Amino acid sequence: MTTGLDGMVGAVDGDRLAATVAALADAPFTGRRAGSPGGAAAREWLAGRLRHAGAQVGVEPFEVRSVPEIHAVPRAAWHDGRTAEALTFGRQVMPQVTSADVPAARRGGLAVAGTGDPAGRWLVVPEGMSLFDAYGHAGGALGLLIGRAVDEHGWHYTMLAGPDPGPLPVLALDRAAYAAVAGAASARAGWLEASTPIRRADVTAANLHAHWSGGVPAVLLTAHYDGVGDLPGLRQPAAADNASGVAVVLEAARLLGPGHSLAVALLDAEEIGALGSAHHATQLRRAGTAPMVINVDGAGHLHEAAAVEAGGPAHRLLAALDQAGRHTGVPLAAGPVASDNRRYAAAGLPAIGIGAGMAGYHSPADTPGRVDLGTLVAVCRLVVATVWLATTDPARLSSSIGDRR
Amino acid sequence: MTETSTPVPGGFTGDPAAALRVNGTSGCCGNPARDDLALPAAASGPCCGTAAEAAADDACCGSAAKADAVTTGKGCCG
Repeated sequence: MTTGLDGMVGAVDGDRLAATVAALADAPFTGRRAGSPGGAAAREWLAGRLRHAGAQVGVEPFEVRSVPEIHAVPRAAWHDGRTAEALTFGRQVMPQVTSADVPAARRGGLAVAGTGDPAGRWLVVPEGMSLFDAYGHAGGALGLLIGRAVDEHGWHYTMLAGPDPGPLPVLALDRAAYAAVAGAASARAGWLEASTPIRRADVTAANLHAHWSGGVPAVLLTAHYDGVGDLPGLRQPAAADNASGVAVVLEAARLLGPGHSLAVALLDAEEIGALGSAHHATQLRRAGTAPMVINVDGAGHLHEAAAVEAGGPAHRLLAALDQAGRHTGVPLAAGPVASDNRRYAAAGLPAIGIGAGMAGYHSPADTPGRVDLGTLVAVCRLVVATVWLATTDPARLSSSIGDRR
Repeated sequence: MTETSTPVPGGFTGDPAAALRVNGTSGCCGNPARDDLALPAAASGPCCGTAAEAAADDACCGSAAKADAVTTGKGCCG
C-alpha cells in the first residue's frame, strides 16, 4: 500500500497521465465543447474512471445560453482586381464569436470602415478601431473584416466566450491576408465573397462530482474537462487545455481519494466563461461549506515556473503549496490563472489556480504530442504533495506567509 | 513524515502571498477574488495585454498577449 508523502509522490504514474490525455483528446470526444455529444461522452468516460478509483460519482447539470458553434466550413474568397484567391478556413480566415450567422456567401466590393459609402461592401476595420466604432460606420455594409494574430503554427484561436453577436458577419483574417485585403480596400479595388456559418444554441452542460467519504471534504480538486470543440473539418483535441489538468486531478484522486478528506469536481463550460465553477461555487456557498480548492488549468509544458493565482482566505493552502513545491522541486511564481479558481475565490473559498503551460492554445495544434510528460508528472506530484500536506499534517504548515485562516 | 524541504529549487522564489495579489485579477473571465483578509487591492486592467488592446479586440484581454501568455506558461485565461 502506498503511504506517506514520499510514497504518494513516488506513486504518480506517468503512463496513466499520458493515457488520460490521449483518450480525452481522441476523436470520439470531438474536442469536448460544452453541450456537445462529445462533451457528454467524455463526461461518461470520466465518471467511469472515477468510479474505478472507488469514488461515489454524481452529475450536476446546468443550462448554458447561447453557445457559439461554427456549423459549416465558411466560404471565403477575394479578388484584388487582378487575381482571385480562396482563403483557408482556420488559418487565413475565421468567423468571430461576435458574428451574425450568415450561411450563404455574400459578395461585394471592399472599403475601409469610416471612409466613403459602406453600402453593399465588406468593410476592413482599421487597426485600433473597435467593432463598436466600426458598426457606427457600417450602414448597409455586407460585413466586417478584422485582423488577428495567428499562433506559431499559423492557426487562428477559437474563442467561445465573448459578447453577443451583432447584426453583421464578422471575419477575422490573419495578418498577411488582412494587409492584402486592406490594401485593396484602400484603393477601392477588388471584392470579397464570404459566409459566416456560426450559430448559437442553448445547451445543457454538466459538472462531474466525486467523493470517497461522507462529510465535508478538506480539499476540493478541480479541472475543467470541456474544450472549445472541433470545427468542421478541423480537429481541436484540447490536450493541454485541459485534458492535461484533468489527467493530473484524476491521478491525484486515484492515489489520495480513498484515504484523505478529498472531493473532485470536473467542470464543464469553463471555455464559455467559467460557468461550471460558477454553478458549483454557488452551491457550496449556499451549503455553507468551504473546502480548500486547487484548480489545475494547463499542465502542458512547464517553462520557468508554474503560474499560481490565489484568492479567498488561501494563506494556509499557499503554505502547503509552497512546501509541496520545495519538496517536489516544482518552481512556482505568482501569475494570472484566470480560470475556475476565480469563481470559488469569488464565493469566499480559499482557492488557488495552477497553470503550467499550454502549447497550441485553442487551436488544432493542441495535440497530445505537444503535452510534455515531465510537466504532467511534475504538476501531479505537486498537487499530490499539496493535498497530502494540507490534509495530513496541518500543524506543520507554518510558513513565512503565516496562516490566518 | 519525511522532511518537506529538499535541496531542489522548487516552491516560490519570492513571497508566496504575491499569488494573492496577481496583477489583473479583476479582469478577464473571472470575478474579482474576494477574501476575508486585509489584502492589497488587485491592480485594475485586463490580465493580458493593455486596456487599449482589449478594447481594440472587442474582448476582455488583448488577444495576442493572452495567447502568448498561455502558450509560454505564464498563466492567463485557460
